[in-house]
Amino acid sequence: MSSQTSRLKTMKLEELLQRSVWDVDEERHIEILKQEGLRVNALILLCPMGCYSIAGDKLIMSYEGCVECGTCRVLSRSDQIRWEHPKSGRGIQYRYM
Amino acid sequence: MRIVVGIKWVPNTQAVRIDPETGTLIRKGVPSIVNPHDLPAIEAALRLRDTVGGEVIAFAMAPPPAVKGLELALGMGVDRAILITDRVFAGADTWATSYVLGNAIVKIEREYGRVDLAVFGQETIDSSTAHIPGQVASWLNWPYAYYVRDIQVSGDSKIRIVRELEEYVEEYEVELPAVLGIAMRALKPRPVSLYNKLRAKLDKNVIITWSNSDLKLDPRCVGLKGSPTIVAKTIDMPEVPRKKEVYKPRDPRDGAKWIISKIVEDEKLRELLVKKLWGE
Amino acid sequence: MNIPSKFDTIVVGAGPAGCASAYLLAKAGFKVLVLERGRGVGSKELWGGKAYAQPLRDVWPELDKEAPIHRWVSKERFSLVWGERALTIEYKLGRKVAFTTYLTELVNWMARKAENAGALIVDEVRVEEIVVKDGKVLGVKSGDDIVYADAVIDAEGVNRLLLEKLGLVDKLSPDHVALGVKEVLSLDPKLIEERFMLNRNEGLAWFVAGDITLGLPGGGFIYTMRDSISIGLVLPIGPAARAAEKGLLKEHVSSLVEAFRLHPYFRSFWREADVIEYGGRMTIEAGLKLMPRKLYMNGLLVVGDAAGFLVNTGYTIRGVDTAVISGKLAAEALIDAFNNGGPTEENLKSYEEKVKKSYIYSELKNHSGIGDVMSDPFFFQKIPQVAVKAASKLFEADYEEPKLIRSFLNAAKEENISLLKTIYKLGRVAGKL
Ligand SMILES: Cc1cc2nc3c(=O)[nH]c(=O)nc-3n(C[C@H](O)[C@H](O)[C@H](O)COP(=O)(O)OP(=O)(O)OC[C@H]3O[C@@H](n4cnc5c(N)ncnc54)[C@H](O)[C@@H]3O)c2cc1C
Ligand SMILES: Cc1cc2nc3c(=O)[nH]c(=O)nc-3n(C[C@H](O)[C@H](O)[C@H](O)COP(=O)(O)OP(=O)(O)OC[C@H]3O[C@@H](n4cnc5c(N)ncnc54)[C@H](O)[C@@H]3O)c2cc1C
Ligand code: SF4
Repeated sequence: MSSQTSRLKTMKLEELLQRSVWDVDEERHIEILKQEGLRVNALILLCPMGCYSIAGDKLIMSYEGCVECGTCRVLSRSDQIRWEHPKSGRGIQYRYM
Repeated sequence: MRIVVGIKWVPNTQAVRIDPETGTLIRKGVPSIVNPHDLPAIEAALRLRDTVGGEVIAFAMAPPPAVKGLELALGMGVDRAILITDRVFAGADTWATSYVLGNAIVKIEREYGRVDLAVFGQETIDSSTAHIPGQVASWLNWPYAYYVRDIQVSGDSKIRIVRELEEYVEEYEVELPAVLGIAMRALKPRPVSLYNKLRAKLDKNVIITWSNSDLKLDPRCVGLKGSPTIVAKTIDMPEVPRKKEVYKPRDPRDGAKWIISKIVEDEKLRELLVKKLWGE
Repeated sequence: MNIPSKFDTIVVGAGPAGCASAYLLAKAGFKVLVLERGRGVGSKELWGGKAYAQPLRDVWPELDKEAPIHRWVSKERFSLVWGERALTIEYKLGRKVAFTTYLTELVNWMARKAENAGALIVDEVRVEEIVVKDGKVLGVKSGDDIVYADAVIDAEGVNRLLLEKLGLVDKLSPDHVALGVKEVLSLDPKLIEERFMLNRNEGLAWFVAGDITLGLPGGGFIYTMRDSISIGLVLPIGPAARAAEKGLLKEHVSSLVEAFRLHPYFRSFWREADVIEYGGRMTIEAGLKLMPRKLYMNGLLVVGDAAGFLVNTGYTIRGVDTAVISGKLAAEALIDAFNNGGPTEENLKSYEEKVKKSYIYSELKNHSGIGDVMSDPFFFQKIPQVAVKAASKLFEADYEEPKLIRSFLNAAKEENISLLKTIYKLGRVAGKL
């Protein structure tokens, strides 16, 4: 739950994420298999939901906020990122799009 | 073995926001889902059925859109689903809800035969009272165990259950019929399968709807009328002022240590913790 | 379990393409199963906001009366922005050509039409494989379960996991797709109509180019819905990723969209609006380049985004009407095939022929120049910059008023653009836009 108002001030990504709805699966549908050669900056800046972030030297992928757009998939090879759709209708639940 | 599993149709609380102007909850556009803590209960019931045979019946007291949630349970492999829905059931507190659910189990026994086990989730994401399973057990006069992580059949009409508590694990033998509350995240729910979901959509008899004309309960004992709970007052918890500190470790382990150093005041305990975690 | 052992057709994906073909096949009496991975239909859909009505009426003549139409587009706007400055052109339409709505709602309606016609729609099921044996498609697989059908229609959309597995397409290249990032802003319908000067049930579609993309190729869109406004940016992924790696793009895409929402020129239209949803989805940049090696094979047809059938003109994205029409052509080809011995490769050839004769194919070819435009900073940077600068010379004069043509020439000169080069470049792509 959040109580921030958007109106005329810039919303941080975390606030924007609170405006959308997910039914998050227990199982991750996207996974970094091998960081070597990944386009780290592109993933961090272009994943619209900010699922990729860096901790130290390690690229971390948080699948919970993923909207299944496929951008990280086209920016990588299948031996670098395992990419699937979530099962059982879970994941993003768009309402007004 | 006949197992019934209780499912609550709840608003996805992740999507509930507070109106910054009025301070009230914005419920518009909030989709409902099966209470996530009920999924391990469904899984527990299915695993038991898969090993000893029998059937699993999911049931929910809810408005008609909850059929979507029952479809999910059927998609996971539940054999049958019952929607208990009636205007007179609206506005129920846990007392009135469990009264209806308990009586529904009695009717299930009448229609389909003996119920051996009633499993429920630990609690719901929208009310979290954890009252329902215990109350249902009281109405039926059945034994009740909660925080259950594992169920094994141990001979005729008996099960062994494992309860995991904060500091220890307990094992019990329970006489059937019994009521169980399954611990949150105890079991990973299986995904919806194509065949099961197809059957849920095609078989017209697989979802049954009961209203109060089927259950024939005294209207004074159900819904708002049958609910003794009075919400005397609700208090908004004051926001605890928070201090922000940013620490950017290169190694996530340093971050963990830093957090421990912030939240564990006792130095000895801190050292013990770090040692236990990293052997340093 | 009384599961029918076999369907006439299985459609993968309940998007516009899948729903259109399922509807027409079911209406013709065939046993159709639609499998959708989302919960309910539409929960995975995101678009800009404008559908062209006539192609949809070809499938559903009752569209105007029944569909969840938010507003009929009565005004098209086009803006070039640079900094705080903006140059805007507005066109008032004379008839009902296109309407705005949420795609989540529109596909729901399409799915209900298919269901009422007799199609079986099963959601929450992710198809994992199209099952092929000896070159013939037999059905689809999810988990351990296989359902068989005489024909499968692949309508899985732009992320073509199944077609890739089949080997009919290669993995998408970042240079052929774009990322759409979008916000929905709730606003009182009265305010929408006041601010955009619209009559009731009339809507506006607005395309924006310029530095809102921070120098990246792409542009912005604004659509008025019933009681909300959809805004967003579409950024070709290849160039954006390269800019991110070179350090030219430093901000997260969400802050670009936020800056667009709060841009001094635009924000006054939706001052009071609250963001009610935020999200993203990929779209097609170069449709023709995404066409599968084969649009059909023994027992299989590919429709909609999965087949690359999306017309991206640079100022508008048309993917829903083309998806619906391709779904229609596929259904027609399949019905013919069923009536002539079955959906063999030979019998399904007519699908490709129908597509090549339709407006989808000619439009795809006509607008194939978008790639050239999108990859050339001259178009997405220089042109907006010069146009806005020229306008500023015209309108921001304190004493004398410069002549129109002088303003342009001076602005172009200051930005180091020669008239000749402009004419040459425009001429090169004009035929393809
Ligand atoms: C003080 C108070 C006042 C309330 N007043 C109202 C009111 O006026 N009106 C109103 O509508 N609600 C009211 N509620 C909410 C209502 O009591 C509960 O939602 C409902 O009775 C279930 O309780 P719970 O969600 O806490 O379930 P819990 O006891 O936390 O749930 C445990 C498990 O029981 C099962 N279960 C729960 N509900 C159902 C169900 N309906 N069908 C099948 N299985 C189920 C599920 O397996 C669940 O995991 C009130 C709650 C409280 C605490
Ligand atoms: C930012 C943006 C703006 C756009 N703006 C417009 C616009 O204004 N006007 C316009 O006409 N078009 C627009 N489009 C394009 C339009 O949205 C698409 O072209 C259109 O939705 C394509 O329809 P489709 O049926 O081919 O595929 P989709 O709409 O993608 O549908 C595919 C369906 O298949 C399901 N699916 C996928 N894989 C599986 C699987 N393995 N198993 C089961 N189900 C599966 C998906 O969940 C989905 O429901 C826009 C697109 C974007 C991204
Ligand atoms: S699919 Fe899209 S939203 Fe999900 S992680 Fe990849 S880029 Fe982010």
